[in-house]
Amino acid sequence: MNLMNWKNRLAAVTTGAALAMAGPALANPYEKYAGTTLVISWPALAHFNAAEGLLEEFTEETGIEVEVDALQYLKLRDRQLLEMSKDEGEYDIVSWVVMWKGEYVSKGLLTPLSQFFTNGALVDPEFNIDDIADAYLQNGGVVGGQKGYLPGKSGGLYGLPFGAETSILAYRKDIFEEQGLAVPTTYDELTEVMTQLDAAGIPAMTSRGKTGHQVTAGWLLHLAPMGGKIFDDQWNPVINSPEGVKAAEFMRHVVQTGPTGIETFGFGEAAAAFLQGDAALYLDTLKIAAMSRNPNLSTVDGKVGFALHPTDVRCGSETGGFAIGIPANSQNQEAAFLLIQYLTNKAGDQRMVELGGDPIRHSTIQNNAGQFTEYPVVAEQLPCADPDWRPLIPEWNELNIDVLGQALTRVITTNDPIQPIMDEANEKARAIMEREGYYKWAAYRQGN
Amino acid sequence: MTGRAIGGRHAVIAHYVALLVLAVITLMPIWVMVSTGFKNDVLVQQKEPVWFFFVPTLGNYEHIMTRGNFDGYLWNSIIVGSLSTLFTLVFGGFCAYALARKEFRGREFTANSTLLVRMVPPAVLAVPVFAMVVNFGLNNDLAVLTFFYTALNLPFAIWLLFGFFKQIPVELEEAAVIDGASPLQVYFRVLLPLMKSGYAVAGIFTFRIAWNEFILALLLTSRKTRTLPVGAAGFITDTGVEWGRIMAMGTLIVIPPLIFTFFAARQIIAGMTAGAVKG
Amino acid sequence: MSIRTLSPYFFILPAVAIMFAGLVYPVLQAFYLSLFDWKIGTKFNDAPYVGVRHFVRMLTDDNVHESIWVTLRFGFWTITIEMFLGVSLALLLEKPIRGASVFRTIFILPLMISPVVVGLIWRYLFDARIGWINYYLGMIGVEPQVWLGDPELAFFAIVFTDIWQWTPFIFIIVIAGLQALPSEILEASKIDGANWWQHILFVKLPMIRSILLIALLLRLIDVFRALEVMYILTGGGPGRATELLSLHIYNRAFETQQLGYASAISVLLILIVFGLSFAILVAGNPMKEKSDI
Repeated sequence: MNLMNWKNRLAAVTTGAALAMAGPALANPYEKYAGTTLVISWPALAHFNAAEGLLEEFTEETGIEVEVDALQYLKLRDRQLLEMSKDEGEYDIVSWVVMWKGEYVSKGLLTPLSQFFTNGALVDPEFNIDDIADAYLQNGGVVGGQKGYLPGKSGGLYGLPFGAETSILAYRKDIFEEQGLAVPTTYDELTEVMTQLDAAGIPAMTSRGKTGHQVTAGWLLHLAPMGGKIFDDQWNPVINSPEGVKAAEFMRHVVQTGPTGIETFGFGEAAAAFLQGDAALYLDTLKIAAMSRNPNLSTVDGKVGFALHPTDVRCGSETGGFAIGIPANSQNQEAAFLLIQYLTNKAGDQRMVELGGDPIRHSTIQNNAGQFTEYPVVAEQLPCADPDWRPLIPEWNELNIDVLGQALTRVITTNDPIQPIMDEANEKARAIMEREGYYKWAAYRQGN
Repeated sequence: MTGRAIGGRHAVIAHYVALLVLAVITLMPIWVMVSTGFKNDVLVQQKEPVWFFFVPTLGNYEHIMTRGNFDGYLWNSIIVGSLSTLFTLVFGGFCAYALARKEFRGREFTANSTLLVRMVPPAVLAVPVFAMVVNFGLNNDLAVLTFFYTALNLPFAIWLLFGFFKQIPVELEEAAVIDGASPLQVYFRVLLPLMKSGYAVAGIFTFRIAWNEFILALLLTSRKTRTLPVGAAGFITDTGVEWGRIMAMGTLIVIPPLIFTFFAARQIIAGMTAGAVKG
Repeated sequence: MSIRTLSPYFFILPAVAIMFAGLVYPVLQAFYLSLFDWKIGTKFNDAPYVGVRHFVRMLTDDNVHESIWVTLRFGFWTITIEMFLGVSLALLLEKPIRGASVFRTIFILPLMISPVVVGLIWRYLFDARIGWINYYLGMIGVEPQVWLGDPELAFFAIVFTDIWQWTPFIFIIVIAGLQALPSEILEASKIDGANWWQHILFVKLPMIRSILLIALLLRLIDVFRALEVMYILTGGGPGRATELLSLHIYNRAFETQQLGYASAISVLLILIVFGLSFAILVAGNPMKEKSDI
């Protein structure tokens, strides 16, 4: 009896983790965390709305409760930063747009996933991380490699892709047939098709165009295939390069031949214009494919064809979308890891496709290629996804919104010559990089 | 009364027509909101406006009340709105009373500073308030919000109540003081009953601001503590604005101020003109 | 006796303490924060001290200048039009008639509803694709306009919305002022043979000039306080075409995360608003003299 009491007391003061190790092995890796409530912050996008179904299945299977705080995606960052900078934040899992990863990690707000991948009790041996499309994994999850955001040996894994994406071309098969148009494979052909559609009185291509992040995203989509970059290898901005100006000229052409209101379109409005039949072309995220099949969003289901992102001097499609990870101040990190693993393992990825979301794994794309016409296109597009599509440095946010987002608004809302606008933006970008100390090493070397 | 009008009957008719036109211009956008809240998605997305004749649906209301956290938002708004109104009236009433009735050192300074801080723009508060919440680790969003709404409303409430105290004859108080009443007794027994309409006006204005405020609420609230306006803005989603739902939510937000307006229009106008119009 | 002299302080203490902690302290804090380069997500203690660098930057920052210019233009157009419309309508319709209270109730509605809701309603009406305004303009042959995406049109849209919301305010307080005028003087001027125009220009308007002045100053301060309607309607765009100074501060602080710099711009805004407020105090603080009301 006494001995039992003593044992009980010992058990009471031992931490849960030690107990699990010392006691008889639990039959179920989730059992220890049953009853925990996880809070997730993620965007109110179609993929994530679909994922709520998978969360319910997770709760049923594991007994771990999940609550979701879904916000407009550009409002996520404020909220997440605020919560993650508290001593005890509200979120156990956050989903970030890939461009924020550098900032989050540099501020020390995320937990490295290596902490969990080294824990045999947590990691599913069948997880197979190599099956996840490399472009997605590197772009969303790896921080600290080359230039701080590209793959490289100094990098660490902070998140797994979920709702990650690249860009493809979606077009209205019926309109193309009616007008006798061929699906464009190059930017020259695309420009020509847009002109022809416009001449026929059909709004050609929708695009994001709202001041700030949105208009910049629209422009970046064309910059990569045209061979442009934001910075050269020494962090000198090259926004005003011939490629940058050419992409801006193309943006102006998009707005002139496209549906009314591109200047106000965010991601949702740009997609809605295509899905509601107000535009013949959509060149942006592959998410459009699943959205076009959703009767709540789309009136064009069955009329949409998919093709590769047209090429100019090179093939270069976007790397973007979202990744999910665990805030450093989460109180339920291990359970959070289990959920992330559940969402991104093979079964979860397949379920996401069935629920109307987008896959991140090669195997899922292959297995479903017969069912969805865009999957073969995506499989072919992925090798072109440019990991250096935009510089995912902490300063990107300011460049994105304050510099490029303003300059490109002038490009699409005025008829001013483009070169001076881009020159001015380039100077502003340089001033920001100067202020943040990016040229210190170069100056130091020159001094020696 | 009408007989004196220049031009007689025609002028009166013209007068009514003019008022009617202005009323329609004023009400049109509000009606657009109310009607859109009762339309289905097809009607909402339709380019041709439908004013009156459509089959109303409660689908939008059903959606906002069952999905999402409407109950929570509503409850938060009620809590923050009523508590900040209560604090504003109690403390603002005390302050206005002292300013209106007592002679003391610093009286004029207090009066002038009160008017001055009334003008502080909410945008100026945004960053410092954010800093205070983060740096002091303030965790109770609703309490923080209630506090700042009280602070934001106090200057105007004091200003308003001051005017009402001034209208009460001093003799009443003096009589009570002679009877041996303490200052607090004078305030609660003699003045409070006479100040009902003053408190009503100040209360309406305070509640309205707390109920409608958006920027500080957006900044300070999280998942469980959002107020209705912040919740409504949440319907501007990445898949476009859900117009039917957002308008339904807008209609619900407008109901309390609407009720006040219909039952207390005269007092509200008295409040608005209190500063500008002196008898 | 000492209780008698102390009691006023007991009465004002709670309110003064709350106003100090909730309004004055944050304003002082804004001054302090403007000296640091603080970013969201980092500890304030780690933020580097930058002295007056933010203020120097502000002097040459085109974005701030543009935003001030937008605010001034916005103030000029809204206040001019609102004062003109509000005062003329009030003069035309001041005569007491049956049912006036119903109309007055209607006219204060726009003032009572949430700015967020106002922004939403007009965003729907101005929408380029499904907006009612484009539809009705289309009926008279006007091409669909991207109201909220063109710098000039978006500016027009926020001015129009403000006029819709605030003209009734001017209208109502001017009517209240006119109806409070002593009728003997008005009668006297009529007997003197002043015609309708002279009567308005030389008798009525001068008599309500203090109301007009205070209404004008209150509106002017509101222009520097406004941001919620524009936040919903345009977010300040396109470019900075509708980014009033208040909204600029908000966007700086929470979109591009420059909390310190945003604080420096806040300081500028406070100075402007306090300057205007002193004008109001001079024009007449009703609490200044005990016997004033």
